This record gives sequence, structure tokens and C-alpha cells, in this order.
Amino acid sequence: PTTPVARTTRPISESLLNEKWDRCLSSMLIRSGLGLSFGIVFSVLLFKRRAWPATVGLGFGAGRAWEECDNSFKHAAAPSKDGLRVLRP
Amino acid sequence: MLRASLLRTRPIAPAAGLLQWRVANRFFADSKKPDETVLPGSQSAKTNIEIPSPTLSTSPANPSGVSASTIAASEVPKTPPTPQEVRSAPVAQPATTPPTGTGSASVAPPPSAPKPKKRRFRRFLLQLLILSALGYAGGVWYSLVSDNFHDFFTEYIPFGEDAVGFFEEREYRKRFPGQNVQQRLHPQLSGEQKVTIPSKHGLTSRIAGEGEGSGSNLSSSGPHVSALEDDKSRKPDPSGETPKVGSTAPLDAEKPTESLTHDLLPKAAMIDNLDIPSAKEPVVQDVVKILNDLITVINADSAASKYSSAIDKAKSELGKVISDITALKEQEQKAAEDKIRSAHLEFDTAAKELVRRLEAQMHEQESHWKDEFEAEREQLAQTYKHKLDSELEAAKKLYEQRVKNELLEQSIALQKAFSSSVRDRVESERDGRLSKLNELSSSVQELEKLTWEWNSVIDANLKTQHLVVAVEAVKAKLANAETSTPFVNELAALKEIASDDPVVSAAIASINPAAYQRGVATPAHLIDRFRRVSAEVRKAALLPEDAGIASHLASLAMSKFLFKKSGLAVGADVEAVLARTEVLLEEGDLDGAAREMNGLEGWAKVLSRDWLGEVRRVLEVRQALDVISTEARLQSLLVE
Repeated sequence: PTTPVARTTRPISESLLNEKWDRCLSSMLIRSGLGLSFGIVFSVLLFKRRAWPATVGLGFGAGRAWEECDNSFKHAAAPSKDGLRVLRP
Repeated sequence: MLRASLLRTRPIAPAAGLLQWRVANRFFADSKKPDETVLPGSQSAKTNIEIPSPTLSTSPANPSGVSASTIAASEVPKTPPTPQEVRSAPVAQPATTPPTGTGSASVAPPPSAPKPKKRRFRRFLLQLLILSALGYAGGVWYSLVSDNFHDFFTEYIPFGEDAVGFFEEREYRKRFPGQNVQQRLHPQLSGEQKVTIPSKHGLTSRIAGEGEGSGSNLSSSGPHVSALEDDKSRKPDPSGETPKVGSTAPLDAEKPTESLTHDLLPKAAMIDNLDIPSAKEPVVQDVVKILNDLITVINADSAASKYSSAIDKAKSELGKVISDITALKEQEQKAAEDKIRSAHLEFDTAAKELVRRLEAQMHEQESHWKDEFEAEREQLAQTYKHKLDSELEAAKKLYEQRVKNELLEQSIALQKAFSSSVRDRVESERDGRLSKLNELSSSVQELEKLTWEWNSVIDANLKTQHLVVAVEAVKAKLANAETSTPFVNELAALKEIASDDPVVSAAIASINPAAYQRGVATPAHLIDRFRRVSAEVRKAALLPEDAGIASHLASLAMSKFLFKKSGLAVGADVEAVLARTEVLLEEGDLDGAAREMNGLEGWAKVLSRDWLGEVRRVLEVRQALDVISTEARLQSLLVE
């Protein structure tokens, strides 16, 4: 007996949050890594190997990822209004 | 360095022409250096060095340099007036330029006054000319456009008519280029063929009575041309002149001739007088007039005696001619009268003949018409007689027919009465036996109807049985399924059986196609999935509305420390709802569980959406099957 596979186009509803978490973590890793690397490069090239450019880059990357994640969480809960006409009084 | 070498290599030509050529072919290399330029005043660095005067080597660029260097006396700048002079001089300050300062020396120079007086007049003339030309052109154009203005323009403006005519002609030619170019316009426009009527044309003022006798008045009756009147008018002349002759002695030599001519005149008048009664012919009158004119001419002339004999002869000849004419006239008249008389006679005889012929014709016609009338009358009488005979015969025939018809009617009525009496007898006899046969046939018909009805009952029964079986099949399929399996075949069979039942088809239509194509979840599957969903929902239980990442993190962490509720917990929080749903699911109340979960809000609802959809699909299928089975039961009950 073959179990019917869930459609790939729409994720299962109970795993929505988990997916979001996954994406958030990955983006956080990537962005903070990018920021850190840029900071290191800058510190080597311009700032005589000071530590703070690397931390600043890391902060930038992490902050950007945080903001994106926050946005995605905030806008997901409300039902999407795509294709709906909004009637204003 | 390079420049210097170039300069050195250049040959220095002594001749002026060569020098000029050299200047013309100037190189960029020998352009002026900035520190060599000499600025006026003390700004340049070379002020202390003396400024070189223009030499001959630079003169070719401006050939008049030498002559220009000697300044003319008129162009020598005047020595400025002393401040006292300036102050004493009256300051002619123009009103337009305000004083630039308080001192008189700082007064702005007055604007150079324009004084081309002649030019202004010329300009005025030019403007006038241009304006008038423009106006004229405008007038011509507007007169081409407007008829009213055309009239005004051509009448009052000189040469306006010609100008407008020229343009109209050109337009006409442009419009009809193929036609010959004859003058289309009124000839008056071109100024030719003008008829000038002089003043007082055909009118002359004169006194009414004067000179009437001199002209020939043929229209008036009576003697038209009379020598007598002429004579009368002349009579005073000799009487007036004879005393003159007597009184004036020096004119003796001329007197006899004059008197002779005057003596001749009455003779000529006498001859004319004789003419008058017979001179009715215009020709004769003309001749007489000519003669009279001749006589008057001769009378006026002094040499009357010369022509007297000739005139006398002419007179006698004239008299003869006139008598001849009268004789000829009389002869003609007589001949004409004879002709008229003979014509009268001829006409009389012809008229008589005509009258006689007409009378004969009338007689003939009368007799002819009488004969025709008689014949016609006889014919009419005969036709009327024929008509009368035929009508009489027809009336007789009609009468006979009517009598025959009455006889026939009577016989028919008798036969009818007979047959009815016979039928009455036969019916009364037959009713006794045939009524029983009728009863039999009706009872047979009733039996047939009954059997038909039973057939339909049996059919309906069979149908309901099939329906029940099909529903049972579907239910069994659903109940026995370990996993979700499609039940399209069973449903198709069900629909085939109850194709004419609207309730069943509506119920089947209410099922989501995905449900029977992929199958619905089994209760065990539902419960299993609920466990997973509830774990996820619990994680999101503490989320506020519009939560960000921080609150999500907080909820995730804090939900680990929540106490789990169990049983039919009271409250609307997520934990209580989950507990109640679990209990309801374990009891098998899918409907209640779905209702409970539907009451969730926010992220919890979003997370449980798929599970809810699954439960709903199961419920839909169950409801549809319930409806169909109820319908089947109802059908079986409806059959008696």
C-alpha cells in the first residue's frame, strides 16, 4: 500500500513554523558569516587588523537576518490578501 | 628649446614682401608669452620697462599704423576743464539719468541724443507705404471673401476694381484651366466698349410753333407740303425789302436781280398750288417738294432769271406727269371694279350650289337614320320576348323541383321514424345480454392496471435494493480501509444506480472530488496526525498577535514549561482546546473535534488548517453517505 504523498507545492500546515525557523537560521548563518568576512577583510586592508570591524560586520549581518526573519514571522500569521479586493468606507 | 631652435632656423628676410609672407604664416611657436604682454597701468610686471613703440616689422598687420600714429588735431583729447570751470558751468542733467553722486564731477554722461530728423520722416513715409500696401492687400483679399466689402471696395477705392478683378480672373483660370481664356468679367471692368451718352442727347429745346412748316409732316391730314405757306412766310420779305430798295440808293445795282428773283417766286408758288389737289401720291409729293426746294434755292440765289425757263418747263412736265398718273389711276380703278363685280357673281353661284348639295345630303341622312331606327326597335322587341319566354320556363321548373323536394323530405322522415323504432326494439332486447359483457371487459382492464402497478412497485423495490447495496459497499470500503484509498468505483456505481434521484446526485456532488479520488483519512490516521499537530500548536500557544521573532523564540521556550491539561478542560486557551479535542477524538466524535479546533485563533489555527481540512473531508463523505442511505430507506418506505 502506497501512502499518498503530500503535494510539494504547498507545505503541510503544521510544519509552517518549522520551515520558517529553518530558513531564519540558515539566513542568519549566511548573513552573519558574510558580514564577518567583510569585516575581517576591511580590518586587514584598512584598519590595521583591529578587532572591531569584524564585530561590526558580524553585527550587520546578524541584524539584517534578524530583521528579515521578524518580517517573515509577522506577515505569515495574517491571512494573505492576495487577490482580494479591499473595500474602504 | 624646440621653439628656440625653430626660431633660429627661420631665415630672416630683409624684404618687406617676404616679411609679410612670414607674418601670414605665423606659427604657434611664436605666440605671445603671457609675461611679455604689457598691461596698461602698473599691473604688469613690465611697466618699468619702456613700452616699445610700434615698429615697421609689425606694420604689415595694420598698414595704416604709421599714419594713424600721427593723431589728427581734431582727435587730440581736450584738456579737461578745471574743477572751478566745471562747478561754474550749468549742469545740464537729463531727467532720466539720476545723479550718481553728490559732486558735479560724478554726474553720468548724458545719453547721446538721436537726431536723424530726415530719417524719421523717411521712416514715416516707409511705414505709411507699407501700411497702405498691407491695407490694400487686405482689402483685396477681404473683398474676395465678402461680397458686401467687395462692393464697397470696388466703388470707393481707386484701382480696387482692377485689382479685385485680376485676382478673381486668376482664381477662375486656376479653377477651370482647360477653358479658353476669354474675358469672363464684365467688359466694363476692363474699361473697353464703354458707351458714353452725351448730355442732352436726343433733346433739343425749341418753341412749339416754330419751324413746323419746314419739316414734312406726313402724319397730319391735309396738305403736307404747301408752297403757299412758304409763300406767306416769305411775303413779308419783299414787302420789307421794297421799302429798303426805295430808301437805300447805293444798292441800285443789285436791286433789279433781287426784285426779279422775288418776282419769280409767286410764279413758282402758283404752279405748286395747281399741283396740290392731285398730289396725293407720296412720290408726287416728294417730287413737288424737291422742286419747291430747288425753287427756294434759286430764289435765295440771285440768278433766278437763268433758270426760270427751265423751271417752267419742269413745272409743265410735272403737270403732265401728274395728269398721266391720275389717268393711270382711274384706269386701274375701273379694271379693279370690273374684277370685283365678276368675283361677286362667281361667289353667288358657288354659294347656291353649296346650299343645294347640303340639303340633298341632309335628306339622304335622315332617311338612312329612320331605317336604322326601325330595325333596331324590332330587334329589341324580339330579344325582350325571348327573355320573357325563358324566364317563364325557369319559374315553372323551379316550382316543379320544389314540389319534388317536399315529397322526398316526407319520405325520408318516414324512413327515419321507422329505423328508430326498429333500433329501439333491438336495443331494449340486447341490453339484457350485452351489459354483462361490458362489465367483464372493465374488470379485465382493472386487472391489467393492477399488474402494471405491481410491476412498477417491483421495479422500485429493486432499485432501492440496489441503492442500499451500493451505499453499503461504499461504507464497507471506507470502514475496512487501513489507509486512505480512493473509492471512485463504488461512488460511480452508486451514481449510476440513482441517476434519476436528485437527492442522491446532490449528495454525491457535495463530496469534494479530492476525497473520492485520493481517499479519506481513517480515524487512526487522524488521531495520529492530531498528535503531531497538537505538539506544533502547543509551541505557538503563547504567541501574541502579530508576533515577531523574539516573541516566537519566547513562545518556543516558554511552551516547554506549560502544564498539560487533560480531559474536558474548561477554558478557551489553546491547551484546554487541545485537551478537549483529544478527548473527543478518542470518543470518535470527529464533528465535535473539528468544531473545537475551528475555535482556535492566530498561528494555532494556521498550523491546524490542514488537519481540519482532512477531518472536514471525512465528515463530508460521512454526511453524504448518511443522506444517501436515508434516501434509500425513504424510497423503500415510499413503495407500498
